[in-house]
Amino acid sequence: MEYTTALALGVLIPLISFTLLAFTGHKLGKPRSSYVALLAIGISCALSTYVLLGWLGKTPDEREALAAQAVANQFHWADFGNLAIKVGVKLDSLTVIMYFMVTFIAFWIHFFSIGYMEGHSDEVDGVSKYHRFFTYLSLFCFSMLGLVISSSLLFLFIFWELVGLCSYLLIGFYFDRKYASDAGMKAFITNRVGDFGFIIGLAMVVLFLGTFDLDEAARAFAHQFNTGTGIFEASVNLFGWHVSGGTLATLMGIGLFCGAIGKSAQFPLHVWLPDAMAGPTPVSALIHAATMVAAGVYLVARVFRLLTPEAQFFIACIGCITLTITALIAIVQTDIKKVLAYSTLSQLGYMIFGMGVGAWVAALFHLMTHAFFKAMLFLGSGQVIEGCHHEQDIRKMGGLRKKMPVTCWTFFIGVLAIAGFGIPGMHLGLGGYFSKDEILAVAYERAFNLPALKETDAAADDAGEHAHAIGRRRITSDRSKPASNIALASGVEAAHAPADAHHGDHRTGTLEKVGIAARLPALPPIMFWLPIIIAYVTPFYMMRCWWLTFCGKPRDHHVHDHAHESWKMFLPLAVLAIGTFYCSFATFRPLIHDAAAAATNSPAIVAIDGEAHNLEEAGAGAMLMLNHAPGKNPHDWLAYGVGFAWLIGMGFAAALYRNGLAAAERLRRRFALIHTALDQKLYFDHLYDGVLVAGTRTLGVVCYWFDKIFIDGTVNGVAMLTRWIGSFSGRQLDMPVQRGDWGLVDAVANGMAATVLDIGSQIRRPQSGRIRTYVCITAGAAAVALLAVLYFDQLAAGIDWLVTRTSTLAQG
Amino acid sequence: MLDIGLNHYMVLSALVFALGLLCMVTKRNAIGILIGVELVLNAANINLVAFSRYQTGAGDGHIVAVFIILLAAAEAAIGIAIFMNFYNTLATIDVDRGDELRH
Amino acid sequence: MNSPVEAISFYVFAAVTLGSAVGIVLSKNIVRAATCLLGTLGGVACLYFVLHANLLAAIQLIVYAGGTLILIVFGVMLTSKSPWAQFSPTRGQVAAAVVVAAMLAFSMCSLMLSADWSRPSGSLLESPKVAEVGKMLLTDYLVPFEVASVILLVVMIGAAYLARPEK
Repeated sequence: MEYTTALALGVLIPLISFTLLAFTGHKLGKPRSSYVALLAIGISCALSTYVLLGWLGKTPDEREALAAQAVANQFHWADFGNLAIKVGVKLDSLTVIMYFMVTFIAFWIHFFSIGYMEGHSDEVDGVSKYHRFFTYLSLFCFSMLGLVISSSLLFLFIFWELVGLCSYLLIGFYFDRKYASDAGMKAFITNRVGDFGFIIGLAMVVLFLGTFDLDEAARAFAHQFNTGTGIFEASVNLFGWHVSGGTLATLMGIGLFCGAIGKSAQFPLHVWLPDAMAGPTPVSALIHAATMVAAGVYLVARVFRLLTPEAQFFIACIGCITLTITALIAIVQTDIKKVLAYSTLSQLGYMIFGMGVGAWVAALFHLMTHAFFKAMLFLGSGQVIEGCHHEQDIRKMGGLRKKMPVTCWTFFIGVLAIAGFGIPGMHLGLGGYFSKDEILAVAYERAFNLPALKETDAAADDAGEHAHAIGRRRITSDRSKPASNIALASGVEAAHAPADAHHGDHRTGTLEKVGIAARLPALPPIMFWLPIIIAYVTPFYMMRCWWLTFCGKPRDHHVHDHAHESWKMFLPLAVLAIGTFYCSFATFRPLIHDAAAAATNSPAIVAIDGEAHNLEEAGAGAMLMLNHAPGKNPHDWLAYGVGFAWLIGMGFAAALYRNGLAAAERLRRRFALIHTALDQKLYFDHLYDGVLVAGTRTLGVVCYWFDKIFIDGTVNGVAMLTRWIGSFSGRQLDMPVQRGDWGLVDAVANGMAATVLDIGSQIRRPQSGRIRTYVCITAGAAAVALLAVLYFDQLAAGIDWLVTRTSTLAQG
Repeated sequence: MLDIGLNHYMVLSALVFALGLLCMVTKRNAIGILIGVELVLNAANINLVAFSRYQTGAGDGHIVAVFIILLAAAEAAIGIAIFMNFYNTLATIDVDRGDELRH
Repeated sequence: MNSPVEAISFYVFAAVTLGSAVGIVLSKNIVRAATCLLGTLGGVACLYFVLHANLLAAIQLIVYAGGTLILIVFGVMLTSKSPWAQFSPTRGQVAAAVVVAAMLAFSMCSLMLSADWSRPSGSLLESPKVAEVGKMLLTDYLVPFEVASVILLVVMIGAAYLARPEK
């Protein structure tokens, strides 16, 4: 089977399951409807495994050929003017690996859900909601997979909205509870804000790049950048603010990124994700931790080539703010799911930050590893909540280790993974260790090596002369930047590339990259230090959560006595734990790296490969590792600086909560002010409630009065005018000539009325007064007339025959 | 079978038309009748567009269809307003109750 | 002639259209009927795409599925104490309706299939582009276009007047 066909089939099968469940789910009933959904996602998972295995066996050239074939097989859907819309599958290593990740995790979460939903009251007004849960899950799988394989931004957007809808439906799954339906609405509306920016970005893409297709758009963008045409030439007057050239391109990138801000719950739209925990726990695991919220990062990865350095910097800032504030809030949360939600936010912040600093591979790698261990953590929390009779407060738990050993230890693996467990210098550790470190290493490059490079002496040696010339050509095409960067480009090139004539082409490519890198704005050091500090905070709050839940003495015996676990729920946990180990070492990073060369090939910005130590390793000139001055390789000291963060953070948490909550309580009292601020989530909800919600209400009241006075006034005025004209003309035309006589109009009207009454009373009998009868009679008459005309010949013949026959009979 | 032509669309539109009619006649809910009308109009539009594709090749069919969609929207707006008045007067939406003009 | 993709799309979307239409007729409560109407309208829009009537498809989705359908749903909400209220027709009425509808469908099908179209069925013509349709709308069809806008204005005022609460 062709890969594109397999992938497309894998998308459609959950859709079939959705359709089936939507119409027959209530008849299939409690256990059976879940099997349909499980079977569907199972088939998708098998197909994705088939594609993944096949893909792994291909050489890069074969992969390229397959990708080209996928482009050629696109179906031409519609034309609007010059805008052609095509339907197709985007086939590259990123699609394959992302697709596999989604189907694999979704499959095991479906499995978990069967066990989870067993013990849940799922009836509203006597109607079971059990099948609805799996219906929505199937719809979600369809939309998420569609999003992953979309080759065009338009379809990406459509599926983007569909996953948003599923998220809304599933957050508000217990819609009979007020907080759940409120949370669903909050998520939906907050996402609308982000999507609004996304739509503006899409409109700009269509307007300036003239296509929805990701690859075509990237090519057009590169062309316009190099030649200074199109979006780099256009200028717009925006409320008196003159926007032109590069700024417009930056705005486009930021617009597209707005979608990611909403869906990946980045600052300032991060407020919906913690509330989204009102949904069932498997949903939190699948949608609000592993897949959908990561779609924002995926989007940025896909539109990476449409970004400008300024847009990229904006992305890095947003990521950095998010990862910091949410990690701080996570410290004081007491609801087990809220802790996980805030840690998800923080990790998403890391990914977005990684994208922003250009760590394309590292950010996506972090997405993959995070998906596995966070899904596992959420399923573990689901198991705990289920086992403890819906108790979510970690202060009331404790000592569950003995009661739920599998949950406890898989949860611990998750904690280790998110904390970045690893041993520096030995290349040994769990997923979070590699991916997070790589993001930090790249951030280091951008924060410190780049400024250092910019100060490099302009004097280039002979070997640099050639490079100098090319560098000038490249760099002067970007008119907004001063020429001082030329020296830098040549300097780097001279330091890097051996003067080898055979590598001419390659060197030009890498040289371009160096030139671009030199133009990138340097990161302020604070944006390096904050993620480093948070790397110490993460293990602390995760360990706090684990310790309070599973260790120490039971604090609430009622909860503790009920605790139990069931195999249906811990089997997925175990599988995902193995997945966490597996994705840390094999397959994932090389595949993402394989996709990077094509997906980040932009003339405006660079993706920085945190692992490669020289340009050759980075491959094809698409990725760049900045020059390390001797002894300044960030991996050397970063590895030791951050490498033991997990130990320090977790150790501190264990020490603090060793004897229960007492020590933490003392700490809380001392820093009461900070604690309250964090406990209130830094007052974001208050701010939005106070400003936006109240503002909207006021606007509503204003609109109401406008409608009442102005619009209604107009309508009533028109009505009055008409009435006035009517009565006036009536007086003029219909004046009685003599007393007792009818006026002219009255005479005619009454005369006609009398006639009509007469006729009407004659034909009244068949009139039932019912509109439906009239329709039926009219249509029947039409049909009879039509048939009569159509079969006139036959009819005439029949009548002839009848007449002849009758006359014969009469004569006879 | 695989060669789709004008006939396919015409049969489809006839069926949709008949179903729309059926809907108009069997629904006692006024809104149901409105839905039936929408089906009938859609059936007409399918025919117009199919003719434009297979017979004339000109845009006239499309334009007429655009007008039909427009009038359908207008009809729905007025229809619903009337039904709301109907509902305000009779406290039901059952059209069989609206036979006062007969008396 | 035409590609298998087109044929398959036709059958799929025709099935969606007809299936939803049958759903409208069969569904007892009006909310479900309105939901099925969405399926029919969407199916017809997809058929327009198959027929290369892209502008019309977009209008169908925006005006019909986006506007008219919402209007209908609002109508349902505003005109019933419970959206699940049902009034069923009698069995005789249904039988008569089915007979009439079947007759009509049959007669229309046989009429259309027996007609001799000047062009051979199945051969394709170049479809008018969106820009062409737009140009025609503002040149050849300018008067209807303007009349339509006046009608819409009248409808707007009329509907607002009719739906106004009694004083």
